Amino acid sequence: MTTRREFLKISAAVGGGLTVGFHMPFASAQPQVLSPEINAWVLVRPDERVIIRYARSEMGQGSMTSAAQLVAEELGCDWKKVHVEYVDTNAQVRRKRVWGDMASVGSRTIRNSQEYLRKGGAQAREMLVAAAAKGWGVEPGKCKAANGVISGPRGRKTTFGKVASAAAKLTPPENPKLKDPKDWTIAGKPIPRVDIPDIVAARIRYGIDAQLPGMAYAAVAQCPVFGGTVKSVDEAVIQGRRGVMKVLKFDDTVAVVADNWWRAKEALKALPIEWDAGKNGAVTSDTIKEFLRAGLDAENDVVVAKQAGDVAAALKDAKVIEAEYYTPYLAHCTMEPMGCTALLKEGRLDVWTSTQNAEASHAAAAATAGVPLENVYVHRTQLGGGFGRRGGAQDFVRQGVQIAKAMEGTPVKTLWTREEDMQHDFYRPVSMTRFRAALGEDGKPVALYSRVAAPSIIATLLKLPLKAGIDPQAVAAIADQPYQIANVRMEYAQRNPHVPVGFWRTVGHSQNPFMRESFIDELAHAAGKDPYAYRRALLPADSRERKILDATAKAAGWTKSPAKGVHRGIAVTEAYGSYTSAVCELSVSDKGAVTIKRLVLGVDPGHAVNPDNILAQMQGSSVFMLSALFWGDITIKDGRVEQSNFNDYRVLRLAEMPKVELVLAPTGGFWGGIGEPGQASIAPAVCNALFAATGKRVRSLPLNKEGFELA
Amino acid sequence: MKRRGFLAFMGMFPWAASAQSVRHGRVKLELPVLADNGNSVPMKVTVESPMTEADHVKLVRLISERNPERQMAVFHFGPRSGAAEVTSRVRLAGSQTVTAIAEMSDGSQWMDSAHVQVTLSACVDES
Repeated sequence: MTTRREFLKISAAVGGGLTVGFHMPFASAQPQVLSPEINAWVLVRPDERVIIRYARSEMGQGSMTSAAQLVAEELGCDWKKVHVEYVDTNAQVRRKRVWGDMASVGSRTIRNSQEYLRKGGAQAREMLVAAAAKGWGVEPGKCKAANGVISGPRGRKTTFGKVASAAAKLTPPENPKLKDPKDWTIAGKPIPRVDIPDIVAARIRYGIDAQLPGMAYAAVAQCPVFGGTVKSVDEAVIQGRRGVMKVLKFDDTVAVVADNWWRAKEALKALPIEWDAGKNGAVTSDTIKEFLRAGLDAENDVVVAKQAGDVAAALKDAKVIEAEYYTPYLAHCTMEPMGCTALLKEGRLDVWTSTQNAEASHAAAAATAGVPLENVYVHRTQLGGGFGRRGGAQDFVRQGVQIAKAMEGTPVKTLWTREEDMQHDFYRPVSMTRFRAALGEDGKPVALYSRVAAPSIIATLLKLPLKAGIDPQAVAAIADQPYQIANVRMEYAQRNPHVPVGFWRTVGHSQNPFMRESFIDELAHAAGKDPYAYRRALLPADSRERKILDATAKAAGWTKSPAKGVHRGIAVTEAYGSYTSAVCELSVSDKGAVTIKRLVLGVDPGHAVNPDNILAQMQGSSVFMLSALFWGDITIKDGRVEQSNFNDYRVLRLAEMPKVELVLAPTGGFWGGIGEPGQASIAPAVCNALFAATGKRVRSLPLNKEGFELA
Repeated sequence: MKRRGFLAFMGMFPWAASAQSVRHGRVKLELPVLADNGNSVPMKVTVESPMTEADHVKLVRLISERNPERQMAVFHFGPRSGAAEVTSRVRLAGSQTVTAIAEMSDGSQWMDSAHVQVTLSACVDES
């Protein structure tokens, strides 16, 4: 393993990029201070290297680069000299959370931190300029910074590196002046991700790569039925097995610790464990569906999420269209399964894990070990995929620390098998929605009723009180649908089966736009209208939805007829503060084999910080959503998950990936997300195209259970 | 919480009609800076007091800025309590400032506040 010092040498040799690598435990508590810190975000070394700190996580979403672009833009440094470094969670605690939120969730990294990141860069620039001006004895207003060079009156020039020490001693200005985004030269540009050289050279370290001297390994088995517990374990059976060090029993988990992971895993397999399934041992996917359907009909335990006009009156004596939609549970199945390496020794806890929120991991680790926050060190690594699995729930951290605590003094790497990961997720919730609409004489809807019967992630995982009983994610894109309809009533029936639910990329917008935009298509069809024109007429003229719908339809050439045998579908929705639209062109064989010819994805994120990364996110969103759309289905039998690995939980393969055409149409004035919105419009666009091709309306996912396969 | 915000906030509680007279000091409220889960956050309140018949803590109120139930708890004390100290676990509906107010036998009120960041990594806005 590369030590930190060696790594810095390597990094210095390659220039630019990212600083990762494991900080060895028992090295100095604070990162080595090699350079003057201008402020919490910016360090400038005498050799002109600029270190920009990154507080959130990098799991391939690219924000580590985009965030640094925003700082560098305001700083006015030379991008080639920029080096990005993770913020240390221990320093975060000791410095009273100076870096703010560390979570990479909810497509928030850029939109929620852009202001303080830009301010951090601008503040550092003003301090560097002030230091130079002071040295020259001139007004700072007469000096300018660009590309890491400060120019003053009468041709004076100096560099950031030369004035950094003096600048670090100045009082930071409170309200530094920010650039107008139209003057950006670093932000807004398709700059390659800073971690690419390290990924290519296999220097990136993921949580799973943690390697420590004298490390033990733990394999775990959790009760296959959610909510069940360990009844008994016959340890004698594996006693004396080579390498086995310890068998640990927790409420719902058994762990075998050994001198290597294979031995731990094989010993666990041989270990007879009796589980107490508890009260959920008989639950099946069918009983869950019945439970949700009962929620659609129930008179009690239902709340109104949105109400305008009089839906009941408008539906009476009108032409009513009714439909019921269903979306299944989905697993995250990150390429890197859950795991956590931890060492508890002499009151200090070190943790290496792939997390979407390092300070949440820090807090969870401290609480589990019973160690003060100041004595905990969460070492930052890249994530082998997150998609929400490594954010909201810190179960893998608590488990890893619990095991390390039982093995105090020995570093332990706890690693789940793929099967364990697939069967102990916090799944994208199932959901069932009933829509009813009445059309007026012009074919436009005069009333829209909906009821969502679905679990609440916020109530069950976060255990937060719901405002007025409404989980905003469960009714997302339905309660706040954008179409102009006079009478609406949107209801929510919170129904929580025993299967744990969590934040799966795009959360409520991963399923509800599919339902809503398919139903709007049904209305357009009933009205005999073109689905694009129908939506357009219902959207407010100045709405961002209408703008992105127009831009996407135009790029897709909607007004021209598609080739013979090719059919189209369209959809539009807001998601995570951005506005998205999708047009899908496809053909379907007699046997239901679907060939996606085109996938045109439009997005208006307000400001586009890195267009190349936005394209990458749209492509990634397509892989993720098409996988879910065609095959994603976590089913329950005997209270447990039936799927176990990629053989029965299929994902899109390389050759199956359609080309994604990006329509990037930022309209400015707001900041939207990028990591999740891309998925929102894809499923309805594909399903609406399937309807255009076959006349079959898909109201339940995945598609392989509806007679369609990807060709 | 800023002083002005605090006074406005305290106006919500009928017993705090004399919120102006609540002084900082004598009370020490300990809460972790970070909690990954708001459901069970360890909390400790200690009040400087000789705890005699003449001079003791009568009660300690625990006030939440964000919970549906703003007054989280009232702990009653008497000279026989021995020490004016209480530890418990509290449930917090998200990141917030928690305030402990002690009412002494002489009627004076003392307070301390602590901010807890509940690191909810939710893919939702305003967590």
